[in-house]
Amino acid sequence: MGYVPVKGGTQAIEASIKRLTYERLKGEEILEINTILATMGSMIDQVMSESSLYSPELAALAIKQGEGSLEEAVFLMRAHRSTLPRHYYSETVEAETMLVERRISASFKDIPGGQLLGATYDYTHRLLDFGLLEESMETNRRWLEDYKDNFSAIQGSKEVVYFPKVVDYLREEGLFETYKPDNTAPTDVTKKSLQFPTTRSARLQVMTRGQTGAVTSFGYASLRGYGQVHPTVGEVRVGKIPIYTIHPNEVNQEPEDQFYIGEIRITEVESFVPVTVKNDNNKDELEFEIGYGACYGQNETKAIAMSILDQCLEHPNTDFPTHDEEFVLLHIDSVESTGFISHLKLPHYVTFQSKLDSIRQVKKEVQEVEN
Amino acid sequence: MKRRKRTEILIQGDGSLAKALAASITQKYECREVSVPEQGMIMVKMRESAKNSLFYMGEVLITEAKVEISGKIGTGLLVGMDEQRATHLAIIDAAYKAQLPEAVDWEHQLLEEEKKIRMAKVQQQAELFETKVSFETMEV
Repeated sequence: MGYVPVKGGTQAIEASIKRLTYERLKGEEILEINTILATMGSMIDQVMSESSLYSPELAALAIKQGEGSLEEAVFLMRAHRSTLPRHYYSETVEAETMLVERRISASFKDIPGGQLLGATYDYTHRLLDFGLLEESMETNRRWLEDYKDNFSAIQGSKEVVYFPKVVDYLREEGLFETYKPDNTAPTDVTKKSLQFPTTRSARLQVMTRGQTGAVTSFGYASLRGYGQVHPTVGEVRVGKIPIYTIHPNEVNQEPEDQFYIGEIRITEVESFVPVTVKNDNNKDELEFEIGYGACYGQNETKAIAMSILDQCLEHPNTDFPTHDEEFVLLHIDSVESTGFISHLKLPHYVTFQSKLDSIRQVKKEVQEVEN
Repeated sequence: MKRRKRTEILIQGDGSLAKALAASITQKYECREVSVPEQGMIMVKMRESAKNSLFYMGEVLITEAKVEISGKIGTGLLVGMDEQRATHLAIIDAAYKAQLPEAVDWEHQLLEEEKKIRMAKVQQQAELFETKVSFETMEV
C-alpha cells in the first residue's frame, strides 16, 4: 500500500485558531505584561530556564500568549531564540561573584558568612490565603511602607559582602579534593547534537535547560532506589551574577577593557555525596564528591535534582536508569518531549490504516485455519 | 576610566547618568548610527564548582547599539530590551575611544554614581541580613 496524499481542513484550522483567540478574549480581562513580571516570578524563572533564554520580558510575553501553558511558553521562547543573532560569548562567570539573596546549607549550621534565608516558601503554611481574593493596592502600599520603615534605622557595613563557598572551607581542611581550574572549551549542544558518550559540559548544559518536572522526577527516582546517589545539600544559593564580555573585533584587550553588560539571577547548588574509594593500602575509605546544579532564576528543586543527576551521570552504571546518560539527557528537554508526545495528535491515518489491515489479515487467517 | 568599571556604573545606575553624558556629546559632535540597535544573545560560560570545569549555562537576551563619532565606533551592550540605553552606552564608548575632552571630565560624576550604587547595595544587603539565621544550641 502506498501513501495517499490528502488535503483539507484549511478552513477548519483557521476557524480553530480564531476560536483560540476567542477563548483568550471572552473573559474580557487583559493581563498586563507588567503584572506577570511583578507577580509571577517563579513562572518566569521556569520558562527562562527551560527555554535556555534569559529574558523576563520575553518570558512574560510567552506566558501571556500561551495562556499560562508552560510548555507552550517554552516552545515560543525557543522558536524566538532561533531568530536572534548570537555575536557574543561571556567571559567565564565565577559563582563567587554572586550577590547573594539567599544561601543555606543542610550540612552545617555554622557556615562562614552564615545562613541567609532570603525569600522562601519553605517555612510557610500551605493554606490558601482567602485574603488575596480581596487584595487592594492601598493596603499593599501601606504594607510596603511599614516593611521599609522597619529598616530605616539599620546600618549596613560599608562594603558589599560576597560570600565564600561552603565547599572552599571544607577543601581547605582537605576533606574534599581540590581541582585545578579546567579551561577546556565547553561543548555547546545548541551548535552540535549530543553524541554519546557525552562530555561533562554537555551534560550540565542539557540538564540546566531541562524541564523542571522531568529533572525533579529523575532526581527523585535516584533517591528512591533507581539510582545510587543520596546527597546532603552542601549549599543552595540564589542571587545575581554579573556578566562580562569582550568585543569580538577588538585586539589586545585587557580585562579592564571588557564590557559589563548586566546581571542575571540564578540558583546554584552543591550536593555532598559520600562515595567509597580504595586508599593507598587498597582499603575502602569514605570520601565526599560534589554534585553540581545550576539554573536560571530561583528554582531550588530543579537545581538540587540536577546536582543529584550530575553525580549519577559522573558514575555511569547500566543497572540504574538515572546513571544512564542517554536515558536522562534525551528525555528531559521540554520541547523535545512535549513535541514528540504532541505529534501523536497529528494525522497518522496511513500508518494506523496499515496496522488495521495487518490485524484484519491475521484475524482472517486465524478464522480460515479454525474453519 | 576604563570600560569595565565605566559600564558597571552606567548599567547598575538608573540610566539617567548615561542619558546625560550621551546628550552632552550628541549636542556638540556629529553622531552617526552605524547600525540600528538590535536584540541578540550572549552565551553565558560558567565555571562549575564540583570539578572546576566550564559549561554553557544558556543564552541571555541583550540589546546592542553601534555609533560612530569622530571616526571611532562605539558599542553599547546590555542585558535586556533597552535600545535607548544601549545607544547612550555606545555614544559614551565612542567618546572614550575618540578621546573627546568631555570624557575626561566625566570621571568625577562616574565615581559619585559608583558611590551611590554601592550605598544602595549595602542598604539592600542590610535589609536582607534580617533573614540571617541565629542558631541557638538547645540543652537536652
